[in-house]
Amino acid sequence: MNNSRILVVDDEALICEMMKWAFTNAGYDVQTAESAEKALELIKTYKYMVFFLDLNLPGMNGIELCRIIRKDNPLTVAYAVTGYASTFEVFDCREAGFEDYFTKPVELKTLFQAAEQAFQKLARWKRDE
Amino acid sequence: MRVLLAEDDLTSRIMLQSVLSKWGYEVTSVSDGEEAWNVLQGTNAPPLVVLDWMMPGIDGLTLCRKLRAQDRADPLYILLLTSKGEPDDIVRGLEAGADDYVAKPCDNEELRARIGAGERVLQLLAEVARRQKLQGVLEMAGAVCHELNQPLHIVAGYSELLVADLDDNDPRAETLRVIKAQVDRIGELTRRIMCITNYRTKGYLGGCRAIVDIREASQTLNEGANA
Repeated sequence: MNNSRILVVDDEALICEMMKWAFTNAGYDVQTAESAEKALELIKTYKYMVFFLDLNLPGMNGIELCRIIRKDNPLTVAYAVTGYASTFEVFDCREAGFEDYFTKPVELKTLFQAAEQAFQKLARWKRDE
Repeated sequence: MRVLLAEDDLTSRIMLQSVLSKWGYEVTSVSDGEEAWNVLQGTNAPPLVVLDWMMPGIDGLTLCRKLRAQDRADPLYILLLTSKGEPDDIVRGLEAGADDYVAKPCDNEELRARIGAGERVLQLLAEVARRQKLQGVLEMAGAVCHELNQPLHIVAGYSELLVADLDDNDPRAETLRVIKAQVDRIGELTRRIMCITNYRTKGYLGGCRAIVDIREASQTLNEGANA
């Protein structure tokens, strides 16, 4: 199960709950955090392969969080999920290590596809190691 | 550009009107301060005013003060014509609210250059106003998109999850699909708002108010090329 673990980070509790329900239904092991700081705490204990990060977080923002995650765990895939696309530069997202970004509201099936592709990619990388 | 010329001396007025027209300005000319005041209180008043200091009734200096005391929606550039060439007079004129002055008798080339400078200032002010409006619209758009997209994401997500749990023939599934479709519709609108790049308005309530024209203001490059 650890190989399909997802971490969703969003400062809105309802979004975390909904995303947890959705990804659990889709067969993933998913955990949530409502701030970058909480996410970093969880990362110390659990190993996550795929991340869905809100960019507009209180305290440390999603871009900084992604930078740290990707630096410490290069064999991971992170997606940005944002409420307002123009508040960040696409360049910053790519530079921070995001695989792609989605603007809310985004269909769950789009996020499921993204998760599936991410795990497939990670499986390929592991084979090539 | 439209210019208001206020000059009581007939010969000077005709001559000035003639050169201003020749330089491509759309000129309204009046012979005293009272008339100039009335023209400038109307809708669509000329933004550039060439004002003689010495006029019967309201003189140029008094008119400057009255105009500057107003809270005007659009900028006004005032060029004072004066035979009072002493530094003290120039200071009085500028302090009364004139933007510039030309000493009489006017040298046509100097007048043309000074009016041209006034035109540039007005264009600059219009550009600043346009940018400020766009900045305001973008800030509002950001706030609206962010605040709307969060709840939209929750409603859309739960609708999708509930539909997946229901049998296709269940009438509630259809209702949920309607909810989802409407949420997607608002989502499309917020996406368009996020693409706003310029300040464009359209008439609302029969044209008595202007509202931001989201479709025009957010036109993407491709749409623009096809339009």
